[in-house]
Amino acid sequence: MACGSTKLWNGEATWFCCGNAWGPCASAGGGACGTCRSSALQAAWPNASKACWDLTRPDLCGEDIPRRGCGSMMKVRHDCSGASVCVTVSDCGPRTRSFCSESTCCDGVCRTNRVIDLTPAAFSAIGSLSSGTLPVSIFE
Amino acid sequence: MSAYRTGDPLDRRRFLTAAALRGATVIGTGALSAGALGTGVIGATALGAVDADAAFAAPIRPLDPAVAESAFAEGRITAINHDVLEVAGSYGDHSRVRVTNATSVWKARATTAADIETGDGLYARGLPLPDGTLAADAVWVNIVNLHATIRGIEKTRLHLAHGQHEIVGNLMARTTSASYGDASPTADLSRLTIGQSAQVLGAWRPSDGSVDLVRVAVAPGAGRRR
Repeated sequence: MACGSTKLWNGEATWFCCGNAWGPCASAGGGACGTCRSSALQAAWPNASKACWDLTRPDLCGEDIPRRGCGSMMKVRHDCSGASVCVTVSDCGPRTRSFCSESTCCDGVCRTNRVIDLTPAAFSAIGSLSSGTLPVSIFE
Repeated sequence: MSAYRTGDPLDRRRFLTAAALRGATVIGTGALSAGALGTGVIGATALGAVDADAAFAAPIRPLDPAVAESAFAEGRITAINHDVLEVAGSYGDHSRVRVTNATSVWKARATTAADIETGDGLYARGLPLPDGTLAADAVWVNIVNLHATIRGIEKTRLHLAHGQHEIVGNLMARTTSASYGDASPTADLSRLTIGQSAQVLGAWRPSDGSVDLVRVAVAPGAGRRR
């Protein structure tokens, strides 16, 4: 499925490292899909597979996130700046269940629950890595 | 109030490109050591004071639609030649990252390029220039954002489990904050407890592998006293 404009979900975006990397990320590996790289425009999705779902359990936070497997494409838009990036699902994550009800706000817009993890390349395309989280809308 | 208008990335792009092409990219004329850049790259551009958060958060866009909106580089810094960082990528590639007057630099905090050292890890966002360098509008040095479990708590550090690895997290006075999800980050770390899942944002120390903790986020309500 291409990177489109049909609304899929919204929530918090976080970032993570994967693939060959420096520092503590050196042990991250290629992720659930085996293709994940920090320098690529990629993402981790909490329902990339049944096994993935069992780890992330977004339903425990009230998020019945649909299945989108490895290779699926999504557009992630920063809800305040409007900046967007097209990413490919390449891993499983974030662990939504560990941060139920967490919210991130900007300009009065708040999004709740971690629903997508972006690589540093993807996250930095729409915001600052030092913010850690961003409120986003996701399209496909 | 920032002189940099976050709603107009074009101005920032023009300034960045002009700064890079002029070659006079580092404010200040101090001699450059082998391990560090000159001073004053952030916080005092020709546009006036720069709001650090706003600057990091505002990706630039090129005028030429044929050019990608922004480019990205990552890796370890192998050398610093004036205002260019030589970066060995994690896949054997090589990047040259140009630090300009308009580059925002983060290394555990918003800082200046003078804090960048050979051996540091880096993520950089910017625009590709014709000379093959990346004119960086933002550089994050040694930044990590890890999902971990708190295994131990001491006065000056946390012991963290990240996957199969143990990481020491250094608590930094006046810097480390905790985010309990349902409120703004706070300096009160008393609700952190052993066994909690935590998202740890900080700066890796290449010298000993520990992480200087900037923010430790745990689930809302975690550790709350009943």
